[in-house]
Amino acid sequence: MASIALKTFTGLRQSSPENNSITLSKSLPSTQPHRRLRINASKSSPRVTGRNLRVAVVGGGPAGGAAAETLAKGGIETFLIERKMDNCKPCGGAIPLCMVGEFDLPLDIIDRKVTKMKMISPSNVAVDIGQTLKPHEYIGMVRREVLDAYLRDRAAEAGASVLNGLFLKMDIPKDANAPYVLHYTAYDSKTKGAGEKRTLEVDAVIGADGANSRVAKSINAGDYEYAIAFQERIKISDDKMKYYENLAEMYVGDDVSPDFYGWVFPKCDHVAVGTGTVTHKADIKKFQLATRLRADSKITGGKIIRVEAHPIPEHPRPRRLQDRVALVGDAAGYVTKCSGEGIYFAAKSGRMCAEAIVEGSENGKRMVDESDLRKYLEKWDKTYWPTYKVLDILQKVFYRSNPAREAFVEMCADEYVQKMTFDSYLYKKVAPGNPIEDLKLAVNTIGSLMRANALRREMDKLSV
Amino acid sequence: MSMALFSAPPLHFPTLSSSKRHLTSKPYPSLSFKKPHLTFLVSPRAIDNGSGSAVTVDPEILEEKAAQDDGAVKVEESNGSPPVASAGAPAPEVVRMFKDPRWVGGTWDLKEFQKGGETNWDSVIDAEVRRRKWLEDNPESSSNEAPVLFDTSIIPWWAWMKRFHLPEAELLNGRAAMVGFFMAYFVDSLTGVGLVDQMGNFFCKTLLFVAVAGVLLIRKNEDIGTLKKLVEESTFYDKQWQASWKDESSSNSKDS
Repeated sequence: MASIALKTFTGLRQSSPENNSITLSKSLPSTQPHRRLRINASKSSPRVTGRNLRVAVVGGGPAGGAAAETLAKGGIETFLIERKMDNCKPCGGAIPLCMVGEFDLPLDIIDRKVTKMKMISPSNVAVDIGQTLKPHEYIGMVRREVLDAYLRDRAAEAGASVLNGLFLKMDIPKDANAPYVLHYTAYDSKTKGAGEKRTLEVDAVIGADGANSRVAKSINAGDYEYAIAFQERIKISDDKMKYYENLAEMYVGDDVSPDFYGWVFPKCDHVAVGTGTVTHKADIKKFQLATRLRADSKITGGKIIRVEAHPIPEHPRPRRLQDRVALVGDAAGYVTKCSGEGIYFAAKSGRMCAEAIVEGSENGKRMVDESDLRKYLEKWDKTYWPTYKVLDILQKVFYRSNPAREAFVEMCADEYVQKMTFDSYLYKKVAPGNPIEDLKLAVNTIGSLMRANALRREMDKLSV
Repeated sequence: MSMALFSAPPLHFPTLSSSKRHLTSKPYPSLSFKKPHLTFLVSPRAIDNGSGSAVTVDPEILEEKAAQDDGAVKVEESNGSPPVASAGAPAPEVVRMFKDPRWVGGTWDLKEFQKGGETNWDSVIDAEVRRRKWLEDNPESSSNEAPVLFDTSIIPWWAWMKRFHLPEAELLNGRAAMVGFFMAYFVDSLTGVGLVDQMGNFFCKTLLFVAVAGVLLIRKNEDIGTLKKLVEESTFYDKQWQASWKDESSSNSKDS
């Protein structure tokens, strides 16, 4: 549907529409001379006179908040447009430990510190992971409305103007350094409920407006495959809640999701029970029912206080920036496979993009152009590509079928695996492992996979 | 005995099922899922073996569960919601659990599989296959009170070998020998390097390796297609990521 909608935008583009089909280009190396040439050009880009560089950040989630703060601190005139200030996005809400330090988050916005994870296989083998965690290590669970508001407030403190408004579209300038004109419906004390159409002129735009990004549509960024995540917030009795105090559960199995996992995450005073899928979106309710059934006795008697569903991008958009418009966070498609994590990467990409703009504009004194923003993209891909790829491989190998999932759970019982996964999750660095342990792990994993698949073949024989 | 456990006091049934319905449909009527009707209690096979078997469902747990559900419903009623009619409640719904006399305390009781003083691993594998098959059709609730402890790695490697590899081993060995012989002959006829000299040659060692890997990986014709698909799949994500760079090169070439 989205692709049909996009076609109407093709007329707005100056250049002819590219085919978005993805073929691995051999021309990659050939881009180097071009880019270098353009970077030289940007250094000679004109100074902005009488004011600082103006940048609009569309969307006030973690990506937008982090970007706006960095921009404002870098001396750039920043506008943050957010449609709903208390939006509580359906989201698992898990943040890695390193985010607390890197973004200087206060500890009171973390509702729960998860130190135990339970992985439950299709045949209900439960494995506790997290015994290897050191006392100060945990996975933070936040409520998005709290985290988002906090980051926005900090951006405002740093000098960004936060506008409550719904971004509608933007006019892309014909001339090289002409401003972008953003159209939005403003909601503030003057406009009352109805809202008022306004425009805003800026020199660059950061699109941080999530999976259904309008900024992405206006630059014809193309579509991505998305997973649908379905989640129910269930209020359960206190004694049952005690079990989930610092524990999250992950269920895997064909019944729960053919290509993802079902989860029970503790929230501030309730649990979030949900599941997701890419391939069988129509069956999501069936999977949700199965997830609930698997958690059965642990959540019975619970009261559903909210039901939510949301698209989760599977891979980056074919185009993540054009001229002076860049996409970050979910709008760009930075969600990992396998774990489905996105908050940290959103905030990080927002910051990285803002840093590139601050640097390219020499603290708001000069105009920026595409080559400046390209630096953000380059740095991003260099830093995080391995993480995304590893998780993609994990998902492909272990979420493939029930026997593979059994093997996955068996593998997770290994302490070395737990240590490595948590280290890479919490600190977002792929630590070099111990080669002997790695080898042992490989042998064990292949053993598990072969055993599980052997059983599967026998199961197939049974049904015939 | 186990049957008696399953037919818990009828008193609890209405409350149990009604609380279930409350969970699914109360706050969001539009989202109410149709519960698949759950009339079966245990698999027929398990019933056959059920008499005098070891207990797998702790009676206390069931009681506790029912009691808690009771409580939940009462709270709901005190909130002023209409009481749920219990007279016309559908067929009793019971926690579905896998049942087998040899499945004790979350694992296969290996004593039951003794044959001539030794464990008959083949029948352990058979039993586990049947359990997994059953679970696939009837996903079971996980519970902390009755954890599943069975781990396939307790079955020794030779039992797996004997059952799954040996029937195929003859074929693979024969194939490898034939391919190897033919390749040696081929190399000899082309280059004049004899069989003994080939052993000391790096190229020939590589060929040997390729032959063995090929025999192992491609067992059926379909395997070629599967392998091809695997390669495509593993590079697909890379292509998705590369897209924005490819895009730049094309737009650049237009610009300049």
